[in-house]
Amino acid sequence: MAIRLVVRTLSELCVTAGALIVLFVVYILFWTGVRADSAMNGELDRLQNTWATGSLAPAEPTPAPTATGGTPSAAPPAAAPAPYRNGTSFAVMYIPRLGSGWHKPVLQGTGSGVLKKGLGHYTDTARLGETGNFSVAGHRRTYGDPFKDFPKLRKGDRVYLFDGTSWYTYVLDRDPFRTVPTDVGVIDPVPRESGWTAPGRYLTLTTCDPEWGHSHRLIAWAHLETVSPAEQGRPKGLSG
Amino acid sequence: MYGWIWRHLPGNVWLRALISLVLALAVVYVLFQYVFPWAEPLLPFNDVTVDNGMNATNGMAAVR
Repeated sequence: MAIRLVVRTLSELCVTAGALIVLFVVYILFWTGVRADSAMNGELDRLQNTWATGSLAPAEPTPAPTATGGTPSAAPPAAAPAPYRNGTSFAVMYIPRLGSGWHKPVLQGTGSGVLKKGLGHYTDTARLGETGNFSVAGHRRTYGDPFKDFPKLRKGDRVYLFDGTSWYTYVLDRDPFRTVPTDVGVIDPVPRESGWTAPGRYLTLTTCDPEWGHSHRLIAWAHLETVSPAEQGRPKGLSG
Repeated sequence: MYGWIWRHLPGNVWLRALISLVLALAVVYVLFQYVFPWAEPLLPFNDVTVDNGMNATNGMAAVR
């Protein structure tokens, strides 16, 4: 009888472990995507509301009339755009190559909590559209699989970003570049392997490679092609 | 193990089945809400930044 008890308990433990693993796979493959989709939609809605209510600084930095004498105006509010707030979305990225409806919010920061809600902007890198290297990381797999089709990116592909006031169009300068995780130089203002020689307005996308692993990173580099104000509508290359 | 739980649940068969179902759902909820989110960073799926930024729990310490 004792042996029967041992065998039964052991089998029950094995069944339990198996069920746990299956549940975890369901969580990783399915549930993180569900959560991420709702979080990303929440961020997109929040951005739309912010832009609709016009709480962003106006696009044209009209020099404020200089304060006359007595009242020293503290900081001119419209002169410098507000710094990105950590964990908060500030732009939407569109990459037609990853799907005609592909658009994801871009948030400030690359912590794991941030990347569950969208793409993450490396805090130390340049702002959107400015001189330097605007660098963005995204999940290849899990949490909505935003960069699942990253290897399909090709030289000449366009990456569109909208920040409420302007459309920024970046063009990929080469096919995705595979490197190791410690190669932090890829988000330098002028990355060594990118082929660029002079400072400019660049964009870097990073994700992991292989698809489910973490031994390498895939990098895509693009340069700013055009900036058009929001009033002109979506860029021509971006349908829908 | 499961037999022991079953024997210690109160009520008739239907009530026991109901309680078992509730217990199972509670376990799944705890797993999805607390255990898996904790275990998930231990796996490699979400290392997407250069220089291991993902391992930092706060977003500020992401790169360099």
